[in-house]
Amino acid sequence: MSEWITLTVNGVRRTVSYTGKESLLEILRNALDLTGAKEGCGYGACGSCTVVVNGEAVKACTLRGREKLEGIEVLTIEGLADPEGNLHPIQEAFLRAGAVQCGFCTPGFIMRLYALLKNKPEATEEEIRKALSENLCRCTGYEAIWQAAHLAQELMKETRLT
Amino acid sequence: MAFRYIGKSFERTDGYAKVTGAAQYVADLKLPRMLHAQILRPEFAHARIQSIDTSEAERSEGVVRVVTGKDCPLFFSAAGFYDQRPLAVDKVRHGGEPVAAVIADTLDHAKKALPKIKVVVEPLPVLLDPAEAARNKTVLIHERLGEYRHLGSYFPEPGTNIFHHYRLRKGDIDAGFKEAEVSVEGEFEFSLSAHSAMEPHGAICRWEGKDRVEIWASTQAPFAVQQTVAEMFLLPHAHVRVHVLYLGGGFGGKSDVTIEPMVACVARAVPGVAVRYICSRKEVMTSTVLGRGMKARARLGARKDGTFTAFQAELYFSDGAYGDAAANIVTVAGHNCVGPYAIEHCHVDSYGVYTNTPPVGAYRGYGHPEGCFISERLVDMMARKLSVSPLDLRRKNFLCEGRKNSLGETIRDHNGDLFKCLLNVEKELFTRPKPEEDERYLYGRGVASMMKSPKGAPNASSCCQIKFCSDGSVHVNLGGIEMGQGSQQAMRQIAAEALRLPLDRVSVFREVDTQHSPWEWQTVASMFTYRGGNAILKTAEKAIRVLKENAAVVLRVLADDLDYDGECVFLKTDPDRKVAVKDLARGYMYENGLTVGEVAEATAGDRIPGYVEPDPKFGMGTAGGTWTFGCQGCELRVDKKTGEVTIEEFISSFDVGRVISPQMIRGQIVGGVVMGIGQTLKEKIEFSEQGKMTNATWIRYKMPRIQDIPKRQTVVFVETPEKRGPFGARCIAEHPMVAVAPTILNALYDATGHEFFRLPVLPKDILEALR
Repeated sequence: MSEWITLTVNGVRRTVSYTGKESLLEILRNALDLTGAKEGCGYGACGSCTVVVNGEAVKACTLRGREKLEGIEVLTIEGLADPEGNLHPIQEAFLRAGAVQCGFCTPGFIMRLYALLKNKPEATEEEIRKALSENLCRCTGYEAIWQAAHLAQELMKETRLT
Repeated sequence: MAFRYIGKSFERTDGYAKVTGAAQYVADLKLPRMLHAQILRPEFAHARIQSIDTSEAERSEGVVRVVTGKDCPLFFSAAGFYDQRPLAVDKVRHGGEPVAAVIADTLDHAKKALPKIKVVVEPLPVLLDPAEAARNKTVLIHERLGEYRHLGSYFPEPGTNIFHHYRLRKGDIDAGFKEAEVSVEGEFEFSLSAHSAMEPHGAICRWEGKDRVEIWASTQAPFAVQQTVAEMFLLPHAHVRVHVLYLGGGFGGKSDVTIEPMVACVARAVPGVAVRYICSRKEVMTSTVLGRGMKARARLGARKDGTFTAFQAELYFSDGAYGDAAANIVTVAGHNCVGPYAIEHCHVDSYGVYTNTPPVGAYRGYGHPEGCFISERLVDMMARKLSVSPLDLRRKNFLCEGRKNSLGETIRDHNGDLFKCLLNVEKELFTRPKPEEDERYLYGRGVASMMKSPKGAPNASSCCQIKFCSDGSVHVNLGGIEMGQGSQQAMRQIAAEALRLPLDRVSVFREVDTQHSPWEWQTVASMFTYRGGNAILKTAEKAIRVLKENAAVVLRVLADDLDYDGECVFLKTDPDRKVAVKDLARGYMYENGLTVGEVAEATAGDRIPGYVEPDPKFGMGTAGGTWTFGCQGCELRVDKKTGEVTIEEFISSFDVGRVISPQMIRGQIVGGVVMGIGQTLKEKIEFSEQGKMTNATWIRYKMPRIQDIPKRQTVVFVETPEKRGPFGARCIAEHPMVAVAPTILNALYDATGHEFFRLPVLPKDILEALR
């Protein structure tokens, strides 16, 4: 039997049908057609489905249950660039550093970093490493992602100053 | 020659789509009225099927059809060995095999119906060890091996579990070992591992009646899928249309065919409606293909002066339940385990063996990592026995101008320079003193050398189509798959260079579609930049020729007297007499509308010339064709208490001929090295005695994360131009993974004094060795 659930996604209030079983990832991908968050494993090991929920990075495939989903505020990769299509500094940093290869893990890494740097603009190397260790990438060997994280930190600092 | 776009880094053409979530992969695609399939997997890894009762499942909520192997009892093949069926018919041969498929209106309904299918089986003994399976003549995984259709380059041994036996017989092995004054030998084991591309395999298939079909698939080989599916249903190949959207990594695991024949069979039960099947992560591991899986014995002989005289090896590959995707790997590992050295007498037997595990397929390196593991460990052991530097011993025997490889092919200077690669590694690794052992850590250094040549269908080609638009900008279409390696951007840079156009005037293909894309055999073997790049150069020349011929009519001169600069076609002797490209692109139209000349579109292709299958008797011939050579080295430290290994520095030097994009090529090397570290120190697919995979999750199957990467990676390129590579470039993609394991194991010997022969080397193995 399906009921309804309301959440705010990328600044827009969305009410979707909910059986009580779907994960946040299933809601985003199937009900809202926001396919930027990917399912790599389905049990929180890879982080490809990472989105930002109420300001924190969350593996969307593991978040289920009405009490956890009702009323939450979600930011997905589709909501990161501005409405004109200008990229967020983290997206820009991924491109410049060459941190994108197959692209399947990319949205998850970007959202993971977004949550970290938004909350902790001066995050230390250890904090960045710890955050990034939540996500898997099979192409890059992480070097360029590591560089992108630092570049993003700088770019965000500049944006705040200007 | 000064380049405008070659040798420089630019933003990837697919970058914006990938950082904004707009890039669409197969699981992101929705089609109207799409149905969902789920697959029943067997309870036993080896069993005879007695009955399958689908009646209860068919009545389950939302179920449209249940399909079993009886609905499509045929054999398929992508690589020329017809031993596999889309769904099991009378037998299951591994634990991940499809037994039945449920098609339902929702994924949930399909999943719920699966346990309602009743399968009665008679379990059979399970074979997991390849050497044992090769000897076992009473338990046969394929009783009818002798009846399977196959290419002439495969040599099955009916009545056994050996589906392919490659033999290398170069020189006289007895004479070679007689000449040898010293010999070393070892027994090697390379575990099965999972490619683990981030994107799971998936396919959506829609039949139009029974004789046309459209497939959207996560594949590196849409044309192989097209041909395979067409052959299965006796359709004209042109009636099978395969689309590839963005591909989330491949590493060989999405080459040839995997799930597509099964999905095509299943969807055929409901013509007119799209059927979607996306593998769970577990199914990617149990039910597509695995990589590696080798047990081997090998011996190397040398004179006291260090000259290698003889190499002998016996390799057994645990290739799983089906051999189609593995047979060529068996061959390639066989003639490459000799290493990048000139050895006069070589004798190798390489066996592809059926076992009750998922089938093995191409995995980054394709037999070369397996072979390189053997040669590079033996060479290091030989150096110790001869008390010479392992680097100098390699130099003494390296392949170089005029020397012959194991296949009997003569290497030329333009094929690359191993000496320079090794020197680069030596300079980076040995210029500072090695840290001394301390209370907690042991330190070690090691090097290894490698070579890799492509293996593919002898007629494997890349083709290109160039279309000028009416503003003079161009479409460049190829059929190679962008799976992360950056091929689209590399193609764009090569095309811009060849057409003398600014990058932003060159639009390269995004999707590949067998109906509209030029033919590409498969995007494998690191061949796309090389072969596709050449195809662009040839096509650009043809398209420019059309522009010149059109201009020749307008200017009333000969086409040969004209030149082209991207903007205009002009007279060489009088550049002011010119016509703009945009006015020539679709023929030239005079003011009154009269149009002359041809439309500026062209196609051309490229393949390695003279490439043949190895000779059946000696296993030799021009089956390499083009090579990339390289050397790697590392410094590591071993925690004496925990057995943990930390890679302090990893150095790679490859002779790539010409760097197209420094940033992308470094990304390939660094990523490949980390993948190699995973297979050396972490990754191993494990089975219970009954053949059940026991670590088919990313929680239990451990892959490198950011904390596991080397503290520093150094990459140094040698650029000896390849005679027929585009701008001198040669293949590079799989290569960084090939020599990582022996590099680390040689360093582990240096640190611990223990010879490791089994991969992966886990902390517990190191602790055991230290005790």
